[in-house]
Amino acid sequence: MKGLKSCFVKSFSHIYVEEGIEENPLTKEILKKFPKALKVRIKHYKDVFCRPRQNFFVQESSRKLILAAKKGELLYRGPDICHDFGNENFYYTSPALNCIYSCDYCYLKGMHPSANLVIFVNVEDYFKEVEDILKQKPLYLCISYDTDLLAIEGIIALSAMWIEFARGKEDLKLEIRTKSANYSAISYLVPASNVILAWTLSPTEVIKKYEKNTPPLELRLKNIIRAIGDGWKVRLCFDPVLYFENWETAYENLISRTFSVIPADKVNDASIGVFRIPRDYLKRMRKNFPPSEIIHYPYIETGGVYTYDEEVKGKIIEKLWSLLKKHIPEDKIFIL
Amino acid sequence: MFYIVTAYHAEAKPIIEYFGLKKVVKNSRFQVFAGEEVALVESGPGVVASSCATSFLLAEFEATDRDAVLNIGIAGAKNINLKKGDAILCHKIIYHDTKRAFYPDMIARHDMKEGVLETFDFPVIKGNFPEDRIEGDAVDMEGAGFFEAASFFLPPHKVHCIKVIHDYLEGVRVEPSFVSDLIRKNLPLIEGFMSSLESIDCLFSVGLSGKEKEIIDKLAGNLKLTFTMTHQLKNLILFYLSKHERLPGELYDFLNVRVNSKSEGKIYFERIKKLLC
Ligand code: SF4
Repeated sequence: MKGLKSCFVKSFSHIYVEEGIEENPLTKEILKKFPKALKVRIKHYKDVFCRPRQNFFVQESSRKLILAAKKGELLYRGPDICHDFGNENFYYTSPALNCIYSCDYCYLKGMHPSANLVIFVNVEDYFKEVEDILKQKPLYLCISYDTDLLAIEGIIALSAMWIEFARGKEDLKLEIRTKSANYSAISYLVPASNVILAWTLSPTEVIKKYEKNTPPLELRLKNIIRAIGDGWKVRLCFDPVLYFENWETAYENLISRTFSVIPADKVNDASIGVFRIPRDYLKRMRKNFPPSEIIHYPYIETGGVYTYDEEVKGKIIEKLWSLLKKHIPEDKIFIL
Repeated sequence: MFYIVTAYHAEAKPIIEYFGLKKVVKNSRFQVFAGEEVALVESGPGVVASSCATSFLLAEFEATDRDAVLNIGIAGAKNINLKKGDAILCHKIIYHDTKRAFYPDMIARHDMKEGVLETFDFPVIKGNFPEDRIEGDAVDMEGAGFFEAASFFLPPHKVHCIKVIHDYLEGVRVEPSFVSDLIRKNLPLIEGFMSSLESIDCLFSVGLSGKEKEIIDKLAGNLKLTFTMTHQLKNLILFYLSKHERLPGELYDFLNVRVNSKSEGKIYFERIKKLLC
């Protein structure tokens, strides 16, 4: 049998471009970065992204890029299963769909019909919608939920654009969540006081086993140290926390390593989130992916969300809470 | 299994010879040839014929997600950069009549050229039809019908159109032996692509094996498991297999148990649950 590489076309071998955005400067900028890619004109991004019977699992090995303009609603109310960190008017937005990483537990595998990466180039429309809402109320906005925005900063500098857009807008608070080690892509910017850079941290065992293609813990920590040193507000997200053999030791090591290099007093806040996933997403993942300790774990369903049973959940929260509060004041730790 | 749909016998002939296919004697409207790993149908010309033959072949042979289907045939080129005899793997197929477009998933490696195919309901001849109204690099009369039908059965990375450039839309006579030659010369390239598709399928097959499915069915029947419990059992088996190479020996002991009531079955189910968690 041939090796994996030799039977797949390279990722981003094809770029699908929606009609009407060819002249958008961001489209042009992205296309310039992939001179060898075949450009395919499409009417609507869903013509490719939402084809029936796509195989997400196979597509992950040869992702394509889809450039489009998002129409209709651009901002959504933050879901209950996500932290609002004590903020009112919690919204999220998706400037891109899907991610260049492949975490085993990622809900995107169950949410989207395709593993292809969609980038919406009409960033100005997003900004306008934010400005419209800001006229009525303040906004806490997460812009890197259905993707890892900083990880694709090399393809398109959306994080930088959002940071510049947010700068000085007192009523707007932005969270950019990432597992990347791509801080250097935005390190030239002056830190914005209303932007929080949020890093997801996982034990090395988890990263190696379940967070395919993501940077190792040490690299993430190095990025955090630089960001804090430059004056950025940094959030540490221990989310999702997973339950596996020797999980306690793994998380003890993670937290002690983290605070052995990161000045705890400079951390803006931290979150603990036990693994949880909407029922329908998990169902789809179970159907379409091979046996996995994460996907096929016998979770308990409550209110349409699968998570660990109360006993396991309680143990996880208690453990992480006791580990974290040694370093961070309790009022800065958020639990879900 | 690979399924192949051609319009004409001249296109099918070299494929039949190359893969050593034998005629399948069936009382059907279509000519079918099959070997161990390849089955081919000759549809005749046109979108509807291609669509019907594709559906017939895939339904008759009970195609599953593990299979792939190819439409192989000749086409006229609008794009003069394409050479006569070039095999084109189509990354977009437009049905000229409705302007509906189809997109195969371009995942498997190949050494062919790529292009856009446009399917017409009539033969396109330069001079009789304005060239600026042709969007495709190549033109045929079957691709869109084939693709739409095949998409009902298989995932988009398993449905492909491969067209060999025969002319430049000059309305030349189609010479069967020349058509066969064009296809024959490209079969090694096409086989290379098929081999990529096959490797991907082997590497990425998911779910339970036939034997594991049998065990679940038997346990569900013998222990009078409910639909939900059977589903949970399947999930538990997958969970166990994510950590171990094979199922635990003790599970096989449960295969000999037969219960008289659902409540008795529930007790055994709880024991199986403990074993697999
Ligand atoms: S980094 Fe986040 S978005 Fe990307 S695959 Fe992992 S969980 Fe999903």
